[in-house]
Amino acid sequence: MTSHELHWELPGREVAVRVEHSKGTGTFHIAGQAIPFRLLDRNTIEILGRRVRFYAIRDGNSYTVWLDGHTYHLKRAGKSRLSGTTSLTSAANEVKALMPGKLLRLEVAVGDVVSEKQIVALMESMKMETALYAPQAGRVAEICCQPGQVVELGEVIMVID
Amino acid sequence: MIRKVLIANRGEIAIRISYTLREMGIDAAAVFTAADEGALHARLAREAHLVTSYLDIDEMIRTATDAAADAIHPGYGFLSENAALSAACAKAGIVFIGPAPETIRRMGDKLESKRIMQEAGVPVVPIWEGEPPDSEYPVLVKAAGGGGGKGMRLVERPADLAGAMASAAREAAAAFGDSRVFVEKYIRRPRHIEFQILGDSHGNYLHVFERECSIQRRHQKIIEETPSTAVTAELRAEMGAAALAAARAVKYRGAGTVEFVLDPAGRFYFLEMNTRLQVEHPVTEMTTGLDLVREQVRIASGEKLPYRQDGLGQTGHSIECRVYAEIPEENFRPSIGKIEIYEPPLGPGIRLDSGVTRGSLVSYHFDPLLAKLIVWAPTRESAIDRMKRALDDFVLLGVGTNIEFLRRILATHDFALGKLDTAFLDRHPEVFSPPSEVPVEAILAASLPLGEGSREARGARTRQGEASSEGAGSGTAFPDAWTSGPWRNS
Repeated sequence: MTSHELHWELPGREVAVRVEHSKGTGTFHIAGQAIPFRLLDRNTIEILGRRVRFYAIRDGNSYTVWLDGHTYHLKRAGKSRLSGTTSLTSAANEVKALMPGKLLRLEVAVGDVVSEKQIVALMESMKMETALYAPQAGRVAEICCQPGQVVELGEVIMVID
Repeated sequence: MIRKVLIANRGEIAIRISYTLREMGIDAAAVFTAADEGALHARLAREAHLVTSYLDIDEMIRTATDAAADAIHPGYGFLSENAALSAACAKAGIVFIGPAPETIRRMGDKLESKRIMQEAGVPVVPIWEGEPPDSEYPVLVKAAGGGGGKGMRLVERPADLAGAMASAAREAAAAFGDSRVFVEKYIRRPRHIEFQILGDSHGNYLHVFERECSIQRRHQKIIEETPSTAVTAELRAEMGAAALAAARAVKYRGAGTVEFVLDPAGRFYFLEMNTRLQVEHPVTEMTTGLDLVREQVRIASGEKLPYRQDGLGQTGHSIECRVYAEIPEENFRPSIGKIEIYEPPLGPGIRLDSGVTRGSLVSYHFDPLLAKLIVWAPTRESAIDRMKRALDDFVLLGVGTNIEFLRRILATHDFALGKLDTAFLDRHPEVFSPPSEVPVEAILAASLPLGEGSREARGARTRQGEASSEGAGSGTAFPDAWTSGPWRNS
């Protein structure tokens, strides 16, 4: 198992992604979430329950990623700015939005007992549904957003004690 | 009998011409300049000759002679509409695959071509060589010696005419070495409809139906299709007859295109005649089964056209999208670099005429056209669906492209309805807005380590500027050659 961490500059914020992987399978850690993935081949990844074809090229800190017919430009944060990313990798008991979008549905209510990696909410972004998982086992202590609400990347959806 | 052809061109059209020549059992020789060393068209050729320029007529004739070629195919752009090349070929005993010098010269002069067409009974847009009556405003000031939007001015009021003509004349002199300008009636919300024509040296003329080319940026076509949603069977017969009259008027020999503007009331006017193979010729081929390059070679060999007008027909619908190395969202800024990833779309009804592949360098020396994506389907609706799917599947990374921009145009309601005109993009600013959010999957995919994901692409990227042999840095202004170079609108 090897592991590395990258920091991405997005409009107005930074996002840290830690990747643990071994022999084509692994886990992304982003915004307090652990997301398992499997590489089916060099350009196909199974993630969040769906298969995604992608291509990526890099020029220094600038990355160009092709995904589902769209091309995105991403910039990695310089090393000197790594310290500023703590808020997005914080508290392992918070469920955060993985992307800007709309909260579709809550799968749990305050007081419910949840297990690690249980689906607790569904989000929609770019017309795609994404599940949010519980980062740890525990009890839902607080729900901070309601279905239909537009949320920012990294916004806390709920807290699990 | 033609046994060997020198293809005096580059990029996708040089490759496309070579395919037909090989299918006909004719040898092909390519040419390439130092800037195009390693370019796909030169690499694919079994024989390639280094030239100093794609525009030097004497050198091109010399190269053809050295290569023992008995014919020259000029493609489009560059020397294709240069009467002097056609004349030089005749003098050197080389077959020019195109019309006679006189035809090229007369049709290249916009004033003379209009006069010839008017005499032949073809409707032309009213023009004035001096001041038009006040009731005719708005008017367009245009250059007599060239196209591509250079030397063109829209004038709303008589008081502005003199200034517009003076500045248009200066621009035309710089672009074409010909300062003559004239005034043309401005047609509001026109469609650009053109007819493919064929003429042989035995006095036979055919039209091979229309192409709708109304989706344009900076007076250059980006999406073309046939049949046109604006052309009824009656209008097709009428415009086809006008195209044939135009061909007869100049005893046209070869493949050519008669361009018309069609106003919202259904009136059409002759615009100009292009005396060469057109960029968008594939949509005609897809719907008729003809190979227009093969027809050109046969006609140049002195053969008779083996078709009758009433024996020609169209099946289904075809659309072409021009894939350019440019950023539409940044005022169509050209993009240069090395193509790192190239995954072309596949499947039924898809044709890709491409001048590039993985590893190709895109420099600012030439027109930014990378490839033409063409689809065929039984209906227009299914052709649009197929084109959207093909654009979604087209992966080309390393230079910026207009692929997603084309996809957004095809997704508009007006495109689906066939409500097109040359100002389509002005009325649809929404197609210039890409989605602003980055999905989490893209961030995660980019985070995959070296050795997984796109291994060979990482760290291998040529920086912008290095792709150009002149080593200009990134972010510098691009020379005018990008927009005003030898490549005319076609």
